[in-house]
Amino acid sequence: MQLGEFEYLMLTAVARLGEGAYGVTIRQEIEDATGRPCSLGALYTTIERLESKGLVKTSMGDPTPQRGGRPKRMVRITPKGAQAASAFYNAVMRVSRGVAWSATK
Amino acid sequence: MTRIAWWMVESLSRLLDGDEREVVRGDLAECGTSPAQALREMIGLVIRRQAVPWCDWRPWFMLASVVIPIGLLLSYATRSWGVTSGTDISIYWRFWDFSYLAVPGWRRDVIDVAVRIGSGCLALVGWSWTCGFVLGRVSRRTVWLTVLMFAVAVFFGTMGTVIAGQRPENPSLQYHVVFVVLPRFFRTFLVLLPAAWGAYRGSKASSLPLGPTVLGVMVLAIATFLVSQGLERSLVFGGLVPPDPGPDGFLVSADDPRPLWFLSLVMMWPAVYILAETSRERGTRRASRA
Repeated sequence: MQLGEFEYLMLTAVARLGEGAYGVTIRQEIEDATGRPCSLGALYTTIERLESKGLVKTSMGDPTPQRGGRPKRMVRITPKGAQAASAFYNAVMRVSRGVAWSATK
Repeated sequence: MTRIAWWMVESLSRLLDGDEREVVRGDLAECGTSPAQALREMIGLVIRRQAVPWCDWRPWFMLASVVIPIGLLLSYATRSWGVTSGTDISIYWRFWDFSYLAVPGWRRDVIDVAVRIGSGCLALVGWSWTCGFVLGRVSRRTVWLTVLMFAVAVFFGTMGTVIAGQRPENPSLQYHVVFVVLPRFFRTFLVLLPAAWGAYRGSKASSLPLGPTVLGVMVLAIATFLVSQGLERSLVFGGLVPPDPGPDGFLVSADDPRPLWFLSLVMMWPAVYILAETSRERGTRRASRA
């Protein structure tokens, strides 16, 4: 299964957050890791794409008062998703082996 | 400003699916997002959501086969028929006398005009409803946008052209009603509302009953046959196609060539599609029962 960079970031965030993975926490995790803003549009369209590929599963969580009584969309990584993320990580590690990233003239 | 921004966020969120709308608004509330930021986020999400279905061929097919060709034809037809119907009605209104009905020629003329206006209105409603239905059925997720584009094509398709006999300088009230108000009335009530109704019905999952569908398509085919020459003339007198009077040199006579005869088929294709789809769905239901 081919993954894009952002899809990999999201799978990693979902895996790290475990039971607590939903829109707000995933977004925070990605922003903390990359130092770049993550828009709601990118977040939810990617979640939908990953779900259609069978890499994550989503379900509606319970409403909470700090969300104005609105539910969360809980996200959980599937075994297929874990396998795809692992394959992506291994590929990055392999291709990066022996490369010095110091600036060259 | 804050209230306007939240109102816009609320309005835009209606374009999302029910569950996603609640989740996203919950996320915005939990993060304590500012109104301006929330608006930016919502616009970004809605644009992405609306853009996704356009990666498919269906909305483009709808654009090329319904929205642009049929929308433009309806624009010309509504203007032309609005003007001719308005002219006929205003003449009868001014000179009407029941004693004239005793005259066979006058009587026949009245029946001809009534049939022409009635079949024209019926055809407009039928074509528009079937167009809306097909837009809703073939590409459900883009239906509000394709219907909006259809409305733009219908209302602005004749922009920059004038109908034969139109004189825009110093128009009288009667002229204004016939040349401006009636075409707009036709476009709104005989095209746009039926198209919106059809789109609503088409985007629902349930299928149409076969019997009434067959009957409706037959009635529409008869109405289309009756108004087919009028449809072609709406383009000729609308300035889109050069007039050709044929060998006798008179326009609107029996020997006028009809190079645009195929337009009736263009207008009928959504109805034929609906009929084929309804028959297919019925066949599938029967097979699954068996």
